[in-house]
Amino acid sequence: MAPTPVEAGLLVVILGSALATAVLRDVLGSIIAFSAYSLGVAMLWVVLRAPDVGLTEAAVGAGVMTILLLLTIAKTVRPSEDRVLASFDPKTLVLVAAFVLALGATVPALPAVGSPDAPVVSSEVSQYYLDHAYKDTGVENVVTAVLAAYRGFDTLGEAVVVFTAGVAVVAVLKREVTA
Amino acid sequence: MTSPWVSDVLLAAAGAFILYAVVLLYRVVAGPTMQDRVIAVNVVGTNTVVVLALLSVALEETSFLDIALVYALLNFLMSIAISKFTVERGGVI
Repeated sequence: MAPTPVEAGLLVVILGSALATAVLRDVLGSIIAFSAYSLGVAMLWVVLRAPDVGLTEAAVGAGVMTILLLLTIAKTVRPSEDRVLASFDPKTLVLVAAFVLALGATVPALPAVGSPDAPVVSSEVSQYYLDHAYKDTGVENVVTAVLAAYRGFDTLGEAVVVFTAGVAVVAVLKREVTA
Repeated sequence: MTSPWVSDVLLAAAGAFILYAVVLLYRVVAGPTMQDRVIAVNVVGTNTVVVLALLSVALEETSFLDIALVYALLNFLMSIAISKFTVERGGVI
């Protein structure tokens, strides 16, 4: 499945800004490149017809992360050297190369998007939920039914994690304002 | 309804804008000053809004327009945050 020109262009933007985030010496430059990366990924999600994920990516990746990272580096010292690019530890490069190799071997082995042979389509588990979700829970959207009813406790745990993170952020922001 | 010809042209325009975003990445990496980078990313964000609007018409997905609006708001917020931060380092937000 070859990518369309739009997808290919987006992938170049994403890869380029991800590399820029990694190699820029100045952390502020890295944060700026990271927000460009986040916008690219968000666009790709929208092109792949997952607009809700794209919206979350833009709000969290480009919006909240940028502000949190700025708050973090506000308390740190900026390196005074003039070099634009960072230097890398060879060990790190080997580790990253191994990770890329592992991913490169794994991803092509996955079933293609929308493939009729994919386990999620052919499995009887999916069929069970499609048949029983409305009768069991009364929720019309099957994804919502699974998320909020069948695995409700798990979702409650996730909500607690998000709430805790929110409280922590508010606490840090308060301290920033008063200090 | 968008005719296939028009939607092809709109998709090609979206592709051209994405190509433009690739070129802008050079400015993000090269700098030389932080202001250059902030403005480059701001243009990437504006590009995102334009690309989403084009895609929304080409693919006939009106919901993309809502996302484009949210991006426009976020882009503004992000640039303001970074700019204020560079002007009075540490004393903001």
